[in-house]
Amino acid sequence: MTYKEKSFCLEVRGDFACFTRPEMKVERVSYDVITPSAARAIFTAIFWKPAIRWNIRKIEVLNPIRWISVRRNEVGAVASDRAGSGILIEEARQQRAGLLLRDVAYRLHAEMEFIPPPKRPKVRNAVPDGLMSPEERAEWGKDENPGKYHAMFERRASKGQCFNQPYLGCREFGCAFRLISEKDLKAESGIPSLRESRDLGFMLYDLDYENESDPKPAFFRAQMENGVIVVPRWESEEVRK
Amino acid sequence: MILQALYDYYQRKAADPDGGMPPEGFQWQEIPFLIVINHEGRFVAIEDTREGEGRKRRGKQFLVPAAEKKSVNIKANLLWGNVEYALGANPRGRNDIKERHADFRRRLTSEIAGHPDRESLELFLDSNPVVQIEQSGREQERWREVLETNSNVLFKVDGAGNSSIAESLSSQIRRQETVSEDRICLVSGRKAGISRIHPSIKGVRDAQSSGAALISFNLAAFQSYQKEQNFNSPISESAAFAYTTALNLLLKSSGNKVQVGDATTVFWASKEAAFEGKFSWLWNAPPKDDPDRGIKAIESLLRSPHTGVNPSEIDTRFFVLGLSPNAARVSVRFWYAGTISEISSRIRQHFFDLEIVRPKHDRGNYAMFFLLADIAMENKIENVPPNLAGDVMRSILAGSPYPATLLQQTIRRIRAQQSKQEVKRTQAAILKACLNRQQRFQSDPSEKEIQVALDSVNTNTGYRLGRLFALLEKIQEESSPGINSTIRDRYFGSASANPVVAFPILNRLSKHHLAKLENRGRAVNMDRLAQEIVDGLGADNPFPPTLNLADQGRFFVGYYHQRQALFTKSEKPRQSQTQGAAP
Repeated sequence: MTYKEKSFCLEVRGDFACFTRPEMKVERVSYDVITPSAARAIFTAIFWKPAIRWNIRKIEVLNPIRWISVRRNEVGAVASDRAGSGILIEEARQQRAGLLLRDVAYRLHAEMEFIPPPKRPKVRNAVPDGLMSPEERAEWGKDENPGKYHAMFERRASKGQCFNQPYLGCREFGCAFRLISEKDLKAESGIPSLRESRDLGFMLYDLDYENESDPKPAFFRAQMENGVIVVPRWESEEVRK
Repeated sequence: MILQALYDYYQRKAADPDGGMPPEGFQWQEIPFLIVINHEGRFVAIEDTREGEGRKRRGKQFLVPAAEKKSVNIKANLLWGNVEYALGANPRGRNDIKERHADFRRRLTSEIAGHPDRESLELFLDSNPVVQIEQSGREQERWREVLETNSNVLFKVDGAGNSSIAESLSSQIRRQETVSEDRICLVSGRKAGISRIHPSIKGVRDAQSSGAALISFNLAAFQSYQKEQNFNSPISESAAFAYTTALNLLLKSSGNKVQVGDATTVFWASKEAAFEGKFSWLWNAPPKDDPDRGIKAIESLLRSPHTGVNPSEIDTRFFVLGLSPNAARVSVRFWYAGTISEISSRIRQHFFDLEIVRPKHDRGNYAMFFLLADIAMENKIENVPPNLAGDVMRSILAGSPYPATLLQQTIRRIRAQQSKQEVKRTQAAILKACLNRQQRFQSDPSEKEIQVALDSVNTNTGYRLGRLFALLEKIQEESSPGINSTIRDRYFGSASANPVVAFPILNRLSKHHLAKLENRGRAVNMDRLAQEIVDGLGADNPFPPTLNLADQGRFFVGYYHQRQALFTKSEKPRQSQTQGAAP
């Protein structure tokens, strides 16, 4: 039997968003719509474990695309890890302008991919022997199944639980989220997506972290049809790595 | 999207031989002086290529290899440069002339394949060029000028006609091996060598004059994922050249550029389009020798059946990019991409919203320049809040309501100028446009839309009170002819903001004024009109304690409408007091 990954849908809303284009990162210019990487970050903020991977499948744009231009005081220096030496704003002030989106609302559809235990990255700090009883260790890891993680996510998302506040591109732009159940999806009772079709050019898909010291960006050609963007699979040719 | 559009523009223009777009690796450079040498490498003459008169003398444009990006480092251009690099002269007393000239000389040999012209130039440069020129006894005046201005020079071989050495050697330039990794370029989507630094953008007002960068990561805080400089945004060398050249060309040509507040705005179409030429007249003040040009452009847009656009241009994409300076960087203030038909219909809507009755002598200029200047302090365009112009432009192109600041700024300006000047046409037009658009956007049926001319059935309190004020002022002016300060000087502000305070006083005053009017018939007519206006006010609350901002706007528009109506001369004298139509 072929295993089909379960798909979840979140509706997110925010006052501001900035999905920064890589080329205009200093004077921020946002993409027109949410990037798959930012969408993944929202799902990850609600629930993530090394046992799962989130793959974004579809993005629906619900609100018209509107912009706002702001200019903010930021710093030009990187803080060092040494305790005590902070950054003095008078010496390091940089004014950076930003072209942000406002009043954004999206419906994000993602699949949770279950990674079986052998394929997961090595655990670097395993629980030492003294802390686990032999009975527990015998049972440990035996109940690994995808359903466990599906349930965990559903519980957390419907309660509004998250590890950190989900954000739209930049951490200062928090968003509100709501889990849309399959029943509601089938009934199509939600807000319809935008009646607009556009070619959005090359958009950042995500970064390839195979080599941790040199993350490589991947791009794909985004097409919005009636407010819906179908995101290709990571392995497919459409994603230029 | 922005880079993609610029890249496409470059491709389109480069394919067009008259486009003026330099091929990859080259640029147009103004070079005022040419050093002419003969085939044996001896100095012959200095040619002065400048044209024009006096201050405005500009050298001719030559196609030369693209300039290297320099800040404090020593890097010579290929085949051209200032006299420090090209000849080894030392007009400014620097101590690294030797290195500069050596770099120039080295590039000449290593990057150009063998050619008799190259050898002639090498001979010249190796035999003390400065001494040669100074001892030649000729051209000393020009040489002094070259030295003083440290101008850019290019070489020419005697007898080559009009072509400089750059042209004759252009085919011999060896392509440099780019020492950069192959990554996916985010403009073209293909794997190619990524450039670390992009050429500069020149022509953005108030940016660094040596050129600013649209894409730059010059501080540690801006870098991500341990990538340095422009590896943070992978763009291939040819794409980088294409977009910077396209942007520089757009910024140079006045037909594609407009200054909107502090943002230098460029606009272009994806195909040849006549609309491109008309666009700037919708924003700019017209040239002094042809003041009607702006008006004609607007009129053609408004009156033509198909939104003033050639049917073949309707689906052509049109792009507007607003760039604002930030020290050595350039930030994107706004970006708009749409079809010509969309944009022209939105601009048309904008001008329809602004349409308002005007006196006969008023030309009716509605270009942005005039609108913004009239709401600025001292009517100077520099005093406009910097973001406002960009926001207004964006709202016009997107068809959304104007920024709230526009309404507030206009009302503030009207209040500030109350004694010196009455409400101007442009100010009343802005108020009308702001209020109507806001209502339309919110689909608010509660208030009636403000009309172009006087609307005697509009029952909005603010509007009627404004009309009443104008009438009372006219009564005062007629009763005391030649008066210097009318009720407008003292009561305009309080009448618009707190009617319950001002209007009882004004009513009392007007009774005295009416009594002073000699023409009793006129007095009766005015009184009747005032009664008519007051009858339309709500019976329970004719003079409210405060008016909200939108109603204050209507107050000033009502004032303006009534003023225009009162001053309109009509054929039938009876009608001039009640209704006035726009001439």
